Amino acid sequence: MSYAYLFKYIIIGDTGVGKSCLLLQFTDKRFQPVHDLTIGVEFGARMITIDGKPIKLQIWDTAGQEAFRSITRSYYRGAAGALLVYDITRRETFNHLTTWLEDARQHSNSNMVIMLIGNKSDLDNRREVRREEGEAFAREHGLVFMETSAKTAINVEDAFINTAKVIYEKIQEGVFDINNEANGIKIGPQHSPTSPSGLTGTGGQGNTQGGGCC
Amino acid sequence: MEYFKSSLKSVLGSASVENEPSGADTVERLVDRLQSSTLLNDRRDACRALKALSRTYRVEVGAQGMDALRQILEMDRTDCEIIGLALDTLCNITSPKTFDEEVDKHGPNNKVGEQFTEIFIKNADSVGLVLALLEEFEFKVRWPAIKLLMHLSTNRLKDIQEIILVSPMGVSKLMDLLGDSREVIRNDVLLLLIQLTKGNANIQKIVAFENAFDRIFDVIAQEGNVEGGIVVEDCLLLMLNLLRGNISNQNFFKEGSYIQKLTPMFQISSEHDDNPLSTWSPQKVSNVHCMVQVIRALVAPSGPAQAVSNCQRIMRACGLLQALCNILMASGVPADVLTETINTVAEVIRGNSSNQEFLAEVMAPSNPPRPAIVVLLMSMVNEKQSFALRCSVLYCFQCFLYKNEMGQSQLIQTLLPQGNEVPSLTTGQLLCGGLFSSDSLSNWFSAVALSYALIEDNTQKEQLLRVLLATNIGKPPVTLMQQCVMLLQQGSKAQCKLGLLILLCRWTAHCLAAVKSFLLIDSSIAYLTALLSSQENNDDLQETLLQSMCAMLIGLCVHFNDNSISNYTKEKLCNLIENRIGLERFQDAIGGLARHEVYSRTLKHPQPSAKNPSELLLDHEFCRLSKTLEGVIIKSVLDGSSLHQKNEIATPILPDSVLITQYKDVIREQSSQIQKLNQLTESLVKEKNELEV
Repeated sequence: MSYAYLFKYIIIGDTGVGKSCLLLQFTDKRFQPVHDLTIGVEFGARMITIDGKPIKLQIWDTAGQEAFRSITRSYYRGAAGALLVYDITRRETFNHLTTWLEDARQHSNSNMVIMLIGNKSDLDNRREVRREEGEAFAREHGLVFMETSAKTAINVEDAFINTAKVIYEKIQEGVFDINNEANGIKIGPQHSPTSPSGLTGTGGQGNTQGGGCC
Repeated sequence: MEYFKSSLKSVLGSASVENEPSGADTVERLVDRLQSSTLLNDRRDACRALKALSRTYRVEVGAQGMDALRQILEMDRTDCEIIGLALDTLCNITSPKTFDEEVDKHGPNNKVGEQFTEIFIKNADSVGLVLALLEEFEFKVRWPAIKLLMHLSTNRLKDIQEIILVSPMGVSKLMDLLGDSREVIRNDVLLLLIQLTKGNANIQKIVAFENAFDRIFDVIAQEGNVEGGIVVEDCLLLMLNLLRGNISNQNFFKEGSYIQKLTPMFQISSEHDDNPLSTWSPQKVSNVHCMVQVIRALVAPSGPAQAVSNCQRIMRACGLLQALCNILMASGVPADVLTETINTVAEVIRGNSSNQEFLAEVMAPSNPPRPAIVVLLMSMVNEKQSFALRCSVLYCFQCFLYKNEMGQSQLIQTLLPQGNEVPSLTTGQLLCGGLFSSDSLSNWFSAVALSYALIEDNTQKEQLLRVLLATNIGKPPVTLMQQCVMLLQQGSKAQCKLGLLILLCRWTAHCLAAVKSFLLIDSSIAYLTALLSSQENNDDLQETLLQSMCAMLIGLCVHFNDNSISNYTKEKLCNLIENRIGLERFQDAIGGLARHEVYSRTLKHPQPSAKNPSELLLDHEFCRLSKTLEGVIIKSVLDGSSLHQKNEIATPILPDSVLITQYKDVIREQSSQIQKLNQLTESLVKEKNELEV
């Protein structure tokens, strides 16, 4: 199926926070309570629509275990978006966020959009991290924040789609260089810069506007 | 000064006879200079001299100079000249090859390069230093750095793979070089990536993530697609490494719409009419071989069913299947390309009804036009065709009928009496012709091909019982089954008998009517028991296989017996087995099948694995059948005989416990299927509601 844009995402965070389940819920709309440990990375994809434009999301779900950390680092550079996930029922996964964020900032391109996800919101009775804490962390580090449940599917769609919206806005503002594939963004085959209805015109405008601001 | 002169002399190789310093001495002095000199120029000269000596005195330079060279990579990073020389020197000492001029050769297969590789990578940072140097654009640094990595990975692949994986952006740095405008760099990186992606799923995934498929397709297009040179082949080999057995990458390949990009590569120009040889150069043949392997990596029968069927659907939709069929029907295609294309078509259609239908409708450009399948089967029963080609046709036919009720029934239909239509050459006729030809390979192929029409389809088994053959004029027609049994008894070649037994076993399994017909044929059982009780040729593979399959067939006659023939009721057959063959011998014969290497090899993959005609004895589907039924057959026979031992009570019509357990399994499977489908419906309804909102 043709798309206007293709965005590459990665999902990162401690082991067992539900990264693979989030992906499965998003791509297959199902929940698998027992999941094998992810080895290295696994790939998933889905089409979404933003502003009437078909957008393809290619998502790499990484292994959370420490042993795979160096492998995970190879995926930062080429990603346009990242979901940084912690488990609201395990405080230590929240405490490790700083390390993850440092790693991500160090290895990714500076425009990568990071969405902070507090997963397992269905387990409110076992909650160890308050919602406000997640919000505060996100505010402090300039991230978008959501609490999700891969089990009940609450907010899962929104988490992926909102991230795409931010990327989409950044493209229109001209922040992303969409011709550099290392940014994790590709223009669809039918939407090359020559096509009159393409979005690149808007992007160009954004550029000049940005210039005016500075 | 004197010292300098002498060392220079020895470097340049002008030998003064007296007091000639040994190679080791010179190397030692140069290494010392490399380490201790404070002047860059001096270090450069020393490094240049070491490089010059590193082939002839490889062991000395490696043993004494490794640390110094490594130090240069670290300290003199900014000077391309000396870095280039140091890298060249390291390339020489770690080379997997032995140089002609080497002094201490230690034989042609010495492990010098491997040992120096081991020493070099013992310090884990060494490889990181080389990787960092890849970022230097200067040709005389970047190129030897790639070569050095190539040598290191040739010698110690696993270690280098692990080191590169944990080096920050190690793989990414290599991937960047694929865009280098200097072809030699790009081509060497391609080779290095082929090496590094071997058997390492993590590297394969990172390479794919770094847009490898886009890069590869770009290079293939630049190099002239299928008509291109060896670089195209290298690209395809890399693609194959990334896809084979890597489900995540296969999924990415599919989702990234790369399958569609394969189609134009298979639209092979039809200019071959002028000069068929010129358009099929050896390189083009190699390219096409790699291309079809890429397709097969995506639709291999061993892959996850859902993913395979998705890929098959896309291949049909994007015209890839059509392009493959065009090659199939084109003239002037070399036999090995044709064989591989047939195998590929086989896997693209396997179990996918719309793709199977597509193949059924392909017409060959013959006169009169015939369906492609008929033309393929003509090749299968043609002794003059190559063995590999005939095997590929059988595989294609197997895949064509796999889970294809319609195709199965159409094949059987062609054997049944038709109306007044003048029959053209049909698949059924071809297979019957092959079944009764004098070529035992054709017999085997045809019998097995016919058995594919009966898989999991009792209606076709019963229909096939109706088939009559006209024999000599004036004599009454015989049934196909009678003819098969007669051929079996006529003592032709073992291969032919094995084929017929495969067909008969498939026919009688789960089909009471077929068992009944078989038992009614004169001396059918007598022949089987006689063959099974003979003690001859127990070491001969074909003979033991024959005995195993006879035991299997008798067992099927016991298990699927409705007791309607008084001479051969379950009880009487068991009795016969016990008295004429012996229970133990019977069990041995049936169980013996699985002990043969050829059995496990055949069971592993649906494609025939035989390399030459004499190895073609068993068939994948038959092995699967015997695997599922072996247990119940033995149980049936044992139950039957012990029953007999208990004072010869007239066999009460007991509920067949074995059948019951089988039915239980079926029910269990069906209910789990129902459950799955219910879940699916539920989620679809939910989805529909969501969409409507």
